[in-house]
Amino acid sequence: MTASDPNRLIASLVRDQVNLDLKTADVCFLAGLYLRADKAGLASFEEDLLIDLFEQVCDVVEPAAENPRKRATHAIQRLREQRMLARVDGAGIVRAGEYALTRLAAAVIEYFLADEALTRESLSLLTGTLRAQLADILATARKAHSDEDWRQRVVAPLRITVGDMVAGIERRQRGLDAQQEEIQAEIASLLSTDWFSAIDRCQSLLDATTHTLRELNEILLRDTHHFVALLQDIQALAVSAENVEAEEAAQRVIEHVDRIGAWGGARQKAWSEYYQYVHRYLRDVVRLDPDRALSQRLRDQIADWENRSFHLFVAHAGSICLLRPLEARVERPAVARPRTDRETEPAWVETENALADIEVMVSRALDEGVDTLAGLTVQVLATLTDDSQYVVAGRIADAAARLARLRSSRERPWREVGEKLEVEDWTVQGRRKVE
Amino acid sequence: MSDAVFDSLEEVIVDERFPEVDLMLRRGRHIGRDDGSLYDYLVEAQALLEPFYRRFGGELIQQSDGYFYLLPSGERLGRRQLSVGEMLVGQVLALLYLDPATLQHGGMATREALLQRLSGLLGTDALVRTLNPRRRKYDERIAAETVRGKADEALRKLADLGFIDVVDAARLRLRPALMRFAEPVRGLADPSDALERLVARGEVLLGDANDMDDDSGDAEGEEVLS
Repeated sequence: MTASDPNRLIASLVRDQVNLDLKTADVCFLAGLYLRADKAGLASFEEDLLIDLFEQVCDVVEPAAENPRKRATHAIQRLREQRMLARVDGAGIVRAGEYALTRLAAAVIEYFLADEALTRESLSLLTGTLRAQLADILATARKAHSDEDWRQRVVAPLRITVGDMVAGIERRQRGLDAQQEEIQAEIASLLSTDWFSAIDRCQSLLDATTHTLRELNEILLRDTHHFVALLQDIQALAVSAENVEAEEAAQRVIEHVDRIGAWGGARQKAWSEYYQYVHRYLRDVVRLDPDRALSQRLRDQIADWENRSFHLFVAHAGSICLLRPLEARVERPAVARPRTDRETEPAWVETENALADIEVMVSRALDEGVDTLAGLTVQVLATLTDDSQYVVAGRIADAAARLARLRSSRERPWREVGEKLEVEDWTVQGRRKVE
Repeated sequence: MSDAVFDSLEEVIVDERFPEVDLMLRRGRHIGRDDGSLYDYLVEAQALLEPFYRRFGGELIQQSDGYFYLLPSGERLGRRQLSVGEMLVGQVLALLYLDPATLQHGGMATREALLQRLSGLLGTDALVRTLNPRRRKYDERIAAETVRGKADEALRKLADLGFIDVVDAARLRLRPALMRFAEPVRGLADPSDALERLVARGEVLLGDANDMDDDSGDAEGEEVLS
């Protein structure tokens, strides 16, 4: 199984039903074992030692717990099932067992140990060691002749030893960030619970953190300058030796160191703002309202807003009136047309009574023997203009109906009488008698 | 003024900070310690600027919480009263300012916390009715949207007036000037008496401001111009 095969890894974790369930007492127990092993150089623990240590931990974590020996047995079993403890003696039931912490347990405890905050001592120690290490690497770089020398005696220490130390400082910085957050939460909590009587404790918490930050920043300002100078020397040597790998490794560490330096400045600034803000709060809010009555009174004021509303006045200077830039006025000519006498003299014209003539033309066509409405319409329309055909067709039908006896079949056929006109046809059965 | 930095009004006016401070004060801006050198300037020039603004019919006021503002009292300087939305939001922000939980974040509060407090203290219905007095029936979703809109509008105006700083879309930095909203309840006296005193000083106006929260996006509190 490789690390790059997540499917197989997940499948095997599921198959083995792997789970971790560590209670505070378990973690404390493992931490105790880890530190004891570290201090006494122990590779494994006898069963009695495990049980003694568990009882000590139990006294701290759960002082009221009954039957700690029995609990120790269960805890050991639980930790073995979770692969935190391993029996290493192989004696079975013949004698009491011997146990060792597994890699998993060591990793868990190392995580908690590594998460410690940066302190003046830890930072001084780390920066001192780092400076010595860099000086050593610089001396080696001056003597390096081959690529192999550069790789083994410059690049590798820069990547591993120096990289680890710088990462260690960064990790502790994160720890200190977390610690500051806790202090901020603690100050808020102290004020929430004790209000006026919490002022002194808040003040001392603030002062202690400010002092720590100032000290750390001083160390960082001083030492990061040295680190960068040493690293730049190493980088310059790498450039002249045309060793790109060493140059890049030095550059990476310089970037790390810059980041560490920037952290110090940023945190001190942020903390300084917070410090001032809390001071003002303590002075203007807490000291002036020792009984913490103001918040409640303000709450009541808001809740009673509908009955007792008020509005603050604020100054309100009117907006400045911005004048538009001067523009030459464009004269638009008035809309006009030349004066003239538009009245014309009336003239005599021929009368137009085409529609009146239709009846005459229909009568004439009937006399000529046309025996269908379509025939009548075609004959009459031929004498008229195209634009009047639609109207005239209706009048022809009207005249035909009045002048002749017409008959239509049940299904009257449509007949074309012009380019765009059809009529339902009738049959003429003779003229009507004229009254 | 203990440190007499300025000997004459001329020196005060010649100072390069004067135009900015003057404009800010006339626009209703509250200038506090967070404003850095502008606040320092006001502290140094206070004795000379007070009679200067009095001639315009305004009172340059310094509060013990660490901020200045200009309160027009006569006819010469324009003034306006804050709208219902601005007043409600301002009071809740003042409450958040007093809350130790805000202290944990260095005086930062979120819009979400503001809206939660606002609806918690007034009740959703009352809040909607107060901010939408003309609307009798409302859809819950639209009402919530309207309340958020009104709150955002109020926050924008309160930021212009120096009560808060808008840090980003979610966070607000609360400034000491917010304590003006708590002025009626700061003493141990009856709030009604305190309000009357504030009215007499020209700091507040009592009662409903009918047409102050109209629906127009650019609506402001009623303007009282000379």
